[in-house]
Amino acid sequence: MQTNLLCTKTNAKSIKMSNEIDHAQLCLKLNAVAQKRDKQAFTVLFKFFAPKILRIARGKFPNEAQANEVVQETMSNVWRKAHLFNADKGAATTWVYTVMRNVTFDMLRKIKGNKEDNLSDDIWPIAESMVSEDDCYDDHLAQDNLLNVIDSLPEAQREVVKGFYFMEMSQEQLAIKLNLPLGTIKSRLRLALAKLKVQLGEDHD
Amino acid sequence: MIKHHPTFELLKSFVDGELPASLSAGIAIHADMCPTCQHQIAQLTEQVAEANFEFEETFLDRFIVDEGEDIADMPAISFEQMIDNITSTDELVEPEVKTPKQVTFNEQSYVLPTALNNMQFSKTANIGKLSRARIQLDEDEIHTSLLHIAPGGGVPEHTHKGFELTLLLEGSFDDENGHYEKGDFIMLSGDHQHHPVSTEGCLCYTVANDALHFTQGINKLLNPIGSFIY
Repeated sequence: MQTNLLCTKTNAKSIKMSNEIDHAQLCLKLNAVAQKRDKQAFTVLFKFFAPKILRIARGKFPNEAQANEVVQETMSNVWRKAHLFNADKGAATTWVYTVMRNVTFDMLRKIKGNKEDNLSDDIWPIAESMVSEDDCYDDHLAQDNLLNVIDSLPEAQREVVKGFYFMEMSQEQLAIKLNLPLGTIKSRLRLALAKLKVQLGEDHD
Repeated sequence: MIKHHPTFELLKSFVDGELPASLSAGIAIHADMCPTCQHQIAQLTEQVAEANFEFEETFLDRFIVDEGEDIADMPAISFEQMIDNITSTDELVEPEVKTPKQVTFNEQSYVLPTALNNMQFSKTANIGKLSRARIQLDEDEIHTSLLHIAPGGGVPEHTHKGFELTLLLEGSFDDENGHYEKGDFIMLSGDHQHHPVSTEGCLCYTVANDALHFTQGINKLLNPIGSFIY
């Protein structure tokens, strides 16, 4: 298989703030793991993803052992399910995110409800979790990409929206990080959301 | 044609994995029938993934001052050991082959959405033209069910204290606000009152976090069994 030709770039370019993720490289490594069981390639993936997964998991699980388990489970699934990754359908980051989100969902359900029903793969099937870029829906505003709309926000609001929605920081955390009063964060977020709703068209209700 | 969709906020929480299983499954089922929402979910997932994994080197570094520890070097977790552990097996995980399940209401059988494949159902209970099978997700006050309305049946006018999601799996129904068809994702809050009637019959996936409250005449007598339906 011509793996390197299959590696698509993600469309999510506009969130990048400075460092670019090397999507082509991650994709090559993931394909190497899938096709050659390449341990070296896996190590590269591990070093890229594991610290980030750990940090994200620590935000969701107070217990350190559970956060470690998310890393272990997610990366283990990456090793054992890499052959299900389809580079035609999206970036390696999207695929690994899906794996991590599913592991997290099942673990939280297990901890909260003591249910080991592992529903995540039915809700978000790993093998088909990404929509091919061929699927175009010209007739809908969604085409105009949420991110373009976010990028049209004034800088101050954009920063808060990205921090809150994409980096999952709380309003309090954002206030500290951006060194602004909590009230300012709240009002910027409110203003930004009002604008987004107008632009995206709240035709849903 | 599908006219009712989850809000942007719901889709975002869905992508983040932060909704309860009941609502997550509802959105997954809707998206299976709705290319527009499916596309939006794919885009959101891509964006959230990108943001999650660029996180460390970029955005956060501009703000973090108390970074005395390198996360990878912490004694609690040895990455090297984890890599060896994981790669010590060559076993591959093949995706489960999903065989659609069927349910039968009123001698009519329906194929269930695959999102419900591994959920446990209680025995079906019937009142008049309504049949309900509770889905056992154990989410405290959130109740999830399959609700079947036989042709000509309906739910008496009611309101709810919390939210009520009705997702049409088959058939159609009408209420004061309009006509609903297969795939419609109808999320109502406590402010709404409605009285759904189904002429041709329908099967719905319902999620509610409180009992129904019947508001009209003789049906008020039904209030003690409001929790029966949704």
